[in-house]
Amino acid sequence: MSVHHSAARGTRTAARAAAFYDLDGTLADLNLVHAALYLFTNLGEWSGRLSYLLGFAARIPALYLAEQRDRHLLNVTLFEIFKGVSRDRLETLGEEYCDRVLLKHLYPQAVELIEANRAAGLEPVLVTGSPDFIVAPLADRLGISQFAANRLVYGRGRATGRLRPPVMAGEAKAHWCAAYAKANGLELAASWGYADSHYDLPFLAAIGHPVAVNPDRRLMATARSRQWPIVRFAKSGGQAGTIAGVDRTAIEGWLGRRLNGAAGSQAERT
Amino acid sequence: MARPEARLKELNRADLRHEPGARRDLVVTLNRRSQPRVIAYGDDFMLEKLPAGTRVVYPPPPLEALPDPDTAIRYALLHPLNADPMFAQLNPNMRVTIAIDDVSLPLPPMRRPDVRERLLNSVLQTLADYGVDDVHVVIATSLHRRMTEREIRRTVGERAFKGLWPERLYNFDAENRAEIVMLGKTDHNEEVWLSRRAAESDLLIYLNINLVPMDGGHKSVAVGLAPYQSLRHHHNPATLRDCHSFMDPTRSALHTSANRMGAVINQQVNVFSIETAINNQMYGGMLDFLHKNEDRFSDWDRMRLKGFRWTLGSVSNELRRQMLHQYTAPYGITGVWAGETETVHRQALQRVFQQYAVPVKGQSDVLIVGVPYICPYNVNSIMNPVLVQCTGLGYLFNMFRNKPLLKPGGTMIICHPLRDEFHPEHHPSYIEFFHRCLAETTDATELEKLFEAEFARNPTYIHMYRYGHAYHGVHPFYMWYWGEPARQHCGRVIAAGCEEPEVAARLGWEAADTLDEAIAMATSEQGRSATITYLHLPPLVIADVE
Repeated sequence: MSVHHSAARGTRTAARAAAFYDLDGTLADLNLVHAALYLFTNLGEWSGRLSYLLGFAARIPALYLAEQRDRHLLNVTLFEIFKGVSRDRLETLGEEYCDRVLLKHLYPQAVELIEANRAAGLEPVLVTGSPDFIVAPLADRLGISQFAANRLVYGRGRATGRLRPPVMAGEAKAHWCAAYAKANGLELAASWGYADSHYDLPFLAAIGHPVAVNPDRRLMATARSRQWPIVRFAKSGGQAGTIAGVDRTAIEGWLGRRLNGAAGSQAERT
Repeated sequence: MARPEARLKELNRADLRHEPGARRDLVVTLNRRSQPRVIAYGDDFMLEKLPAGTRVVYPPPPLEALPDPDTAIRYALLHPLNADPMFAQLNPNMRVTIAIDDVSLPLPPMRRPDVRERLLNSVLQTLADYGVDDVHVVIATSLHRRMTEREIRRTVGERAFKGLWPERLYNFDAENRAEIVMLGKTDHNEEVWLSRRAAESDLLIYLNINLVPMDGGHKSVAVGLAPYQSLRHHHNPATLRDCHSFMDPTRSALHTSANRMGAVINQQVNVFSIETAINNQMYGGMLDFLHKNEDRFSDWDRMRLKGFRWTLGSVSNELRRQMLHQYTAPYGITGVWAGETETVHRQALQRVFQQYAVPVKGQSDVLIVGVPYICPYNVNSIMNPVLVQCTGLGYLFNMFRNKPLLKPGGTMIICHPLRDEFHPEHHPSYIEFFHRCLAETTDATELEKLFEAEFARNPTYIHMYRYGHAYHGVHPFYMWYWGEPARQHCGRVIAAGCEEPEVAARLGWEAADTLDEAIAMATSEQGRSATITYLHLPPLVIADVE
């Protein structure tokens, strides 16, 4: 089970409920393909990048078909391309992608909501199909110590192209949340879940308070019929200018402090 | 050219013809030959034959509208009550905030130009003439949902919208801690909070619409521009139980509390109130038969009613809802007053009662009301069961002065299909309130104790209120509390035409398939001696019960 515990686990078990967040499309306006493309275009020398991109291009029809059929299959197909890349390179690129791209694409309102939920006693947990080498630095920056992400299998320090089960997609997310809640004494019925895709239906349905965030067409239909709240995050901090005194600078300032803190801790580690 | 006030005096004389006493046939007792009555039934209308002896209370005819509202507005601004004229209070370096009522008023929405557009244009022009640049227009939403850009544009008109949106024209945000400020406490220890922008302005101008007597006065500023921290002092079961009725501000603990808060606000903020009254011309043109006594329907009226019902019955629920919500009412403006809050409000109240009040003799054992497709909290949205409860028990029960139309312990019949339908973007917390909280208890005090704080502080609901178009998390509780005086007064509540009996049961009501069945249930104890009153809506009417 791809459960990632931090050292501060003891304090978390005291919480009665958690807030589970999907990442791609929910907290950030990016998806797994964006991350893959960034990694491919920054792996190795020019010749290497070209071969990765060509490999990715060759897989586009398969990826499209996989996306239509099953999110699990999409993840498996997509991560095959990383075969042969060293673990340290992926981790470095994951940090780089997080700081240069992902943080800039986080919805400010999502960050605000995470903080508000945390203040209300809902422990934040990321549950995503993104790879752990991207999610770990992001969780660090957001001050989230618990997450479930997809993990590559490595052999002699290099990715084998396979994913370590369970692959974080569809029902696996729901099972992980149930197991996590049980292990940590949390009430899933009192917890909140946030996701954007109909592939996350099992995940949302397993949690007491499901919320559809910027839902796709099919999730929107389900949310309406099941009377789930529908939240819309916008990059502009809401409908631009329509909200009296939206304190966007405060959110950015908060994120800045988090980043500075992370940079400081990284510096200490080195 | 005659001076504006001269024309207004003429109008006042014309208005006198519409004193309640001058209007006849507003209370009708049915006999065996009486025609079936039109009854609002959610997004449809029932046509039901009521038992002989049933008393029907009809709304008074619309008061004559001011022929030139813009002149009347200018006149009111130049001749304020108990205050200096607005222009005399202006200087170029001052900060001015204009607050306006939100989408909850009037109902149905007013045909363009909305009275707020007329008021805004006049006020903004005056401010511009005197070189006042620091002007913000705040929509006084309190804990209501934010109005959409389209709704705001429609309400304030093109001129104000183009000049001010979005930096200087926006919805109030009661959850932005940086934008609210506490002004002090009343002598009853009630915290008085207000929009910071309004509190720090040199002049706060409130543009109000009085649809019913519970609107306006100190309630406009003290509630419309206030956050939860203030509202919880009067929007609670104890205070609302002490209201006799909401439509009689002199006997309403809610209004008394708002007045105390308003007094604190007026000590610190220079408030210039502008109140308007509109007539009850809710339906015009092809739908004007809805205002008529059914016994006086012409063939043309019957044909239109049949066609209207056929049209509503031929389309899907969603399309029917959209069609009805697109309807706009041809209201006429019947009065404009400006100046000091309380003096202005007294004048406006007088005109509003002049429009709605109907003298009625005695209470009855059974009260029948039809809940329409719209209430203040579901404009362009869905009328969910909690809102049906609020409209039926909160608003329609309270359409009285002196005494309720219903005897203590009597039965209220509410006509509505009562479907388990909610709008997930407008009413997210209502869904949890209905399915989780009401499943545990329907006791308002228990609900307040067990759940209110949790919902009021829920981050997701707050987020949806601030950035989406959701009512605040605590709002469904207020809707429930609103029905508290009626729950204390009524012996039984029966939902007539109820499609989902489990929804009625969740509200603590009984369910009946038809109105006939509901009446039979209601009169099962007294039999034929039971007195029945049907409060005919639309439009609105307030029973002056002797």
